[in-house]
Amino acid sequence: MAQISFSSTPNLVLRLPMWRSRLVLFLMFVGFVALVIRAMWVQGFGNSFYEEKGNKATLRSIEMPASRGKILDRNGEVLATSLLAKAIIAFPDAIPDDLPKEKVSELAKLLEMPEAEVRKRMRSERNQVFLKRQVDLEVAKQIRQLGIPGIAQNNEYRRLYPEGEAMAHIVGFTNVEDKGQEGMELAREKDLVGQPGRRRVIQDRLGRYVENLGIISPPRDGADLQLSIDSKVQFLAYNEIKAVAEKHNAKGAGAVVLDVHTGEILALANYPSYNPNSRQNLSGEQLRNRVLTDTFEPGSTMKPFPISLALEKGLVQPNTQMAIGKSLVVGKKAITDTHPYGSLTVAEVVQKSSNIGTVKMAMQLEAQEMWELFQALGFGQAPEIGFPGAVAGRLRPYKNWVPIDQATMSYGYGLSASLFQVARAYSIFARDGELVSTTIYKTDQSPKGVRVISAKTAIQMREMLEMVTQTGGTATGAQTMGYRVGGKTGTAHKVEGKGYAGNKYRGFFVGMAPMSAPRIVVAVMVDEPRSGGYYGGIVAAPAFSNIVAGTLRNMNVLPDAAIKQMVDQEFKSQNIKPAALTGGNNKVATTQ
Amino acid sequence: MNRSIVILMVVLMLCALSLVAAQQKTRTLYVALERAQTEERRLNQEWLRLEFEQRNLSKSARINEIARKQLQMQAINPARTQYVTVD
Repeated sequence: MAQISFSSTPNLVLRLPMWRSRLVLFLMFVGFVALVIRAMWVQGFGNSFYEEKGNKATLRSIEMPASRGKILDRNGEVLATSLLAKAIIAFPDAIPDDLPKEKVSELAKLLEMPEAEVRKRMRSERNQVFLKRQVDLEVAKQIRQLGIPGIAQNNEYRRLYPEGEAMAHIVGFTNVEDKGQEGMELAREKDLVGQPGRRRVIQDRLGRYVENLGIISPPRDGADLQLSIDSKVQFLAYNEIKAVAEKHNAKGAGAVVLDVHTGEILALANYPSYNPNSRQNLSGEQLRNRVLTDTFEPGSTMKPFPISLALEKGLVQPNTQMAIGKSLVVGKKAITDTHPYGSLTVAEVVQKSSNIGTVKMAMQLEAQEMWELFQALGFGQAPEIGFPGAVAGRLRPYKNWVPIDQATMSYGYGLSASLFQVARAYSIFARDGELVSTTIYKTDQSPKGVRVISAKTAIQMREMLEMVTQTGGTATGAQTMGYRVGGKTGTAHKVEGKGYAGNKYRGFFVGMAPMSAPRIVVAVMVDEPRSGGYYGGIVAAPAFSNIVAGTLRNMNVLPDAAIKQMVDQEFKSQNIKPAALTGGNNKVATTQ
Repeated sequence: MNRSIVILMVVLMLCALSLVAAQQKTRTLYVALERAQTEERRLNQEWLRLEFEQRNLSKSARINEIARKQLQMQAINPARTQYVTVD
């Protein structure tokens, strides 16, 4: 075998054509160019596919939560607030078939639902089902610890109303989606609702957000809303009307407390009420804020208005004697009083609530001027207080009045108004002749007052209204310890079908206190009292008295009536030694 | 000539490294910020819950109930009040 040395390999001797090496070189060049082009393609022009892939792994668009605004009372106490809660969601496909039975029963127990129902929902055909919404955070945490696969939780808000039924008609409530359904929650939905925002972030592989790429839309928290309502006064008013309605077996009751200095509504209570915290069984009837949305014939509570006009025009004086008699015929109708009177002064007409006396004065007035007065007092127009469903009531144009209309309207039949409208109209007596503009929001501005009658007439009428609550008046039950009060009773037959129901009444009392310098107007209405009397002076006046006493004490208004001090006697009766009384220790100062 | 290129290369490297370091620091800080904001939200919620609970415990209905039933107290009236005026 011939030796072939490395240096003399036959390959070296072979003379190959030049083009072959050139070809290899060229192919290598082409290969590199292809790589460069590919690299440019991937990194430059055609990378949207890869960018998308990359973004999917790291970019996140996340929600920035915003909460619904709170509703506060005039002192900043919370009336409605939103707390974080969890919605428990099941993904039936992801729930294993061999899930231990105990876990399901434990879950059902935590959710306070029947086990069968939970099981049914977990086997639903749909992709996802709510097991329960608005679950407490504590409970949600326990559910998470059960570690059942296919059960997820979502953040949501739960609206809570600490004042419950006492405040229900003012604040209203939201539905499970946190949308306002009634009351202020509905009226101010736009301001209260929060607008969740969105932002883009980069997430690392540990799930942390490492970089903010900008806000897509900023979140906006709902604005807080402060009402003029005083939750203490509201509670007091609600309790009083509730007690009255129960005592007299009434269908319902309502009360308004108005601060006449500021025009603010301090309380607006309705009974029966409901609990806004549990949304089940909430339906039409009980949801209405009757004080604002129900109208009725105000009965005798209207009498002071036409009488004021007669005084204003100089037709009568408070001490003018009038012949009353047993009945007065106007048109075809005979007007009577509950008790016949021979003759009364104008002041006594108010005090004893004589229909005949009132009509005699009203018939001396022009229909137009009486209509203008009622119009100026706000009857027939919806009050502007920003509350949904506040009604206008009915006041027919004077051109359609016949004499009997004018007569009956003077004592409150043939026109209708809400309790709130009546209360507001009484502000003319409390404010020396000015009708106050009212609001349900807390305000620092002094209200607009529109003069309706002169200060002189208003003061004269106040004296008569005070007589109503004194011996010989129709509402001695309105007397309040420590404060001089005044007001007017009303008892109206309820309209049923086309006529008046013989035995169904509404009893009212509308008044003000303290009479030396009126601060509040309080109106109380009792609907269909069925036992223990039905006259306004009997059913409504005592509730008025209690509401006035509590409200004025709460407002730190000094008593203006003589009080027999009982402090010393009480200490004595309890056998407390006089030593304990020295040094001013016996002084019980109001704490507010 | 050669030396300045080397120096510039070193400077360039340092710049690049500091950029990486800065980026890293931004992210750590952002994570911390994010955590703090989550905590803030949680505390806010906690505060709302406590405010609600406080209100629930101090509402008139409850005070009234306890004062009357448990403590046998009575509502005050003007006859048993000594009024003092501030001036």
